[in-house]
Amino acid sequence: MELLPIIVFLPFACAAVALLTGRYLGKWSGLLMVGAAAASFVMALSLFLGSNAGHAGHAGDTEGYTQGGHAGETAVEHGEEHAVAHAGDHVADAGEHVGGHVGEHVGGDVGGPALYNLTWLEDAGTNLSISLRLQGDSFGLFFAMLVSGIGLLVGTYSLNYIDTTIGNGRVGRYYAALIAFMGSMLGIALADDLFMLFVFWEMTSITSFMLIGFWYGEDYAKKGAMTALQVTALGGLAMMAGFVLVGYITGTYQISELVSNTELQDKLMASPLLLPTLLLIFAGAFTKSAQWPFHFWLPGAMVAPTPVSTYLHAATMVKAGVFLIGRMLPIFGASVYWSSILVPIGLITFLYAAYQSLMEHDLKAILARTTLAALGMFMFLYGLKAGEQDALQIWNHAMYKAPLFLVAGIVEHATHSRDIRELGGLRKKMPITFVICCLGALSMAGLPPFFGFAAKESLYGHLLSNEVLATGMWQNLRWPIIGACVLANAFIFAVSWKLILGLFAGKETEKAHHAHEAGISLWGPAAVLGTIAIGMGLLATTGFTQSLVNNLSSAEHAHAHVTIIPDFSHPGPLVLSAITIALGITIYLSRRVVNVFQFAMAKVLPTMQSIWDRFMNTSTAIATAYSTKWQNGSLAWYMAATCIAFVVFSWIALHQGGLGLHSAEINMAHTPWYGAALCGLLGVAAIMVTKAETRLGGAITLTATGFLTSLVFVVYRSPDILLTQILIETVSTIFILLILFHMPSWKRGGPRPSRKLIDMTIAGAFGATMTLFVLLMTTPALRAKANLAGEYLSRTYTGGGGQNAVNVIIVDFRAIDTTGEIVVLVMVGLIAFGLLRSRRKNNGAIQTATNTVSKPGRHDNQESTKP
Amino acid sequence: MIEHSPILRTVARFTVPLTVAMSVVVFMQGHNLPGGGFIAGVLAAAAGATYLLAFGVVRASKFSWWRLSVIGLLIALVTGVVLGFVGVNFMDHTAIEWVVPGIHYHLHLPTATFFDLGVYLIVFGTLMTVFVELGLEGR
Repeated sequence: MELLPIIVFLPFACAAVALLTGRYLGKWSGLLMVGAAAASFVMALSLFLGSNAGHAGHAGDTEGYTQGGHAGETAVEHGEEHAVAHAGDHVADAGEHVGGHVGEHVGGDVGGPALYNLTWLEDAGTNLSISLRLQGDSFGLFFAMLVSGIGLLVGTYSLNYIDTTIGNGRVGRYYAALIAFMGSMLGIALADDLFMLFVFWEMTSITSFMLIGFWYGEDYAKKGAMTALQVTALGGLAMMAGFVLVGYITGTYQISELVSNTELQDKLMASPLLLPTLLLIFAGAFTKSAQWPFHFWLPGAMVAPTPVSTYLHAATMVKAGVFLIGRMLPIFGASVYWSSILVPIGLITFLYAAYQSLMEHDLKAILARTTLAALGMFMFLYGLKAGEQDALQIWNHAMYKAPLFLVAGIVEHATHSRDIRELGGLRKKMPITFVICCLGALSMAGLPPFFGFAAKESLYGHLLSNEVLATGMWQNLRWPIIGACVLANAFIFAVSWKLILGLFAGKETEKAHHAHEAGISLWGPAAVLGTIAIGMGLLATTGFTQSLVNNLSSAEHAHAHVTIIPDFSHPGPLVLSAITIALGITIYLSRRVVNVFQFAMAKVLPTMQSIWDRFMNTSTAIATAYSTKWQNGSLAWYMAATCIAFVVFSWIALHQGGLGLHSAEINMAHTPWYGAALCGLLGVAAIMVTKAETRLGGAITLTATGFLTSLVFVVYRSPDILLTQILIETVSTIFILLILFHMPSWKRGGPRPSRKLIDMTIAGAFGATMTLFVLLMTTPALRAKANLAGEYLSRTYTGGGGQNAVNVIIVDFRAIDTTGEIVVLVMVGLIAFGLLRSRRKNNGAIQTATNTVSKPGRHDNQESTKP
Repeated sequence: MIEHSPILRTVARFTVPLTVAMSVVVFMQGHNLPGGGFIAGVLAAAAGATYLLAFGVVRASKFSWWRLSVIGLLIALVTGVVLGFVGVNFMDHTAIEWVVPGIHYHLHLPTATFFDLGVYLIVFGTLMTVFVELGLEGR
């Protein structure tokens, strides 16, 4: 069975169910989230184990896997030992599968990742297609497991976190957005087509906008959501432009082909468009992963409910940019620009965010800054082409940051405060939360025996032996770069202690006094993650952790060294760790002095948020000025603009085609006498329209021209268009009837002569152009050249399965155009509904209050809703 | 508004159902003969407008007409997407051919019909929404 599409689309189906049944299910729609996440997790896991087994057999490298299987048994024991429901199940599950499954399949001959392909749109001419292509390679599956696994825990946590007093409908919508977000993330993880990736990418932007703006009544929530959407969606669009360039240069959008085909990579490297392509793709990744200078939206997004912050802004979505760079590393890694852009940006973000995290007092803001630092580190590592480190570092970060966010949520729930200055001494009231916070924060600090320690040792070990840093200009920068990393980690170390000691140590504050321990559904998910944070650290002694993260990483033959037992023959990493800890303790102890310096600096330097705000304000001002000038609500002006544009562009097109007045032929030989008489009547009616003194007169004469036109279609035997014309005339007459009462009467004597002259010129030019078109279309010489009508007619039955050419064109040949049109039509209906309803409501309110209705306002709105 | 004309009411009792039936016929024959979703939708809306003028806008506003157009849009889009999944290009139509067992009736149902049904509902729903809302304005 094809598991890949199910993994991605099952969440979307569940989201639809949550949306439709939310108002009845209320908070229980969270179970849909839990179910979808669990199913996706299990499927991704089974794919990973299956493909890995095949891969192992293929490569003939069974040693590491035997080790993996062996360690898997340890995992089973470990799971039972802790007897934590979910963690136990999953680790045991993993253990059994690694142990049993891999054993069965080693030596099998099936290899390579699972693939799925469904073509959506194909252009035979250029061979470019947009396809629903999915691939289940190990890095993608790792990301999918991370997304669904944490989704499972966050869903469970949400069940009791989200306050149901806000109404069942809103709770249902919350879960629908959350589940749809999960589906989009799974789509990003498994997409094998650049455009699929883009579509899912923008879907995460939109769903996260809805989730950040959950408290949409509050101004700060609106602002946070808007900023996040503006920054990430703009970046996403830039990224799409980059993808288009990739397709233009290489002729394919398939990621796996770009990765495996070195010829295509050479094409990219040789292209003069390489730098713009890279910059555009980086723009997408940097905005999504909140790299400096686009980092400011992430702290603003912390207005979201805590489960959302945990899931989107710590564990998954912000890593999408990092993930994208990981996907691009094998494609663009050979470029000289790669390291020289990614390393500085990543390092600045890493150091700057770590430095700023010490300034914050809000629990979630502290965590947001440390998340930024970690994201910077991932970018920096990819800049150094350290693909083998990615799974280790990303996983480690998720395992300590997610529980810390959940703890922040629990503390806020219990004390109604997130300000670390107001909190303290919670260790007695909330012992379980205290332990979980310690698990997370100590792993973040990078102390043994936690996963964080193993990851940091591995990072330092890698930096000391990195190949990029050993070549060219980087040689001179090697020690400054390593020093910057140590300093940033020291700040993180200090912040970790600030969290633990600030929240739980010391005297009980007033806010902490009424606190009480949360229920298991709140601390359970955090405990699972905290257990993994220490469990993976302990398992690092067996080699299980190392073989697992190396298999999951994006690099093909990863050999990251992961252990918590220091290797004294190569003391480099250990020495750096020791320096980090010493420096960290110093920073923590002198934090007040550091803070004074930081706040003094912050006063001088402008923040990126303020620069962005100024940028947005300026663009809004320009847009407003433009639209008040050109979109002024006057239908007469719109009509004139449309006519002028039509005339100008038509004549340009005609000129380009070598056509003009000279190519028109007037052939009256086949015109029956009644046809000519009809045209004469039409002319009279048209003149009557211009002579009408009142709106009603104008409406009636206009209707007359319409019905006379339909008679022309009778003469030329065009029943379809005849039917349409008659019906449209009828319906427009009804429209006019309905609004005629509300329209002001025309000015006596009509417009000024100068205005009349301009209007006559425009109308005359428009009429002349239309006439020319009709004449050209009936010119036999021209029809012989480009016979579009004949082409359509000959294909109507064979291609469309129908005999009515007009209808087949609308619903089949040009179905995508029609789709666009009907979408517009639905929007017009909804807008008319919304505007008129809300205006009546407001007017009603005004009427009851003051008993007056402002007449001019009514008329303006009337005009704009006229279809 | 002209709401209390007994003549219009009497006539409408006959013409409204007739026009609706007509619109269904026009829709059904659309693929081979003059007609189709758009025209049929406008025709149905004309019937709706007659009803609205004869029996008053309040009765016509009991139903949320915009829902019809949203359902129509969903039908049209789902048709396109489903086609994508059965191996035809997105929005590139095919026909369902089925010989009904027993009576040997050959059913030729182009998938475009479903798309056209969407168009019909959208045109009908949107026009009725605007009619009803404009009608309510006048009160």
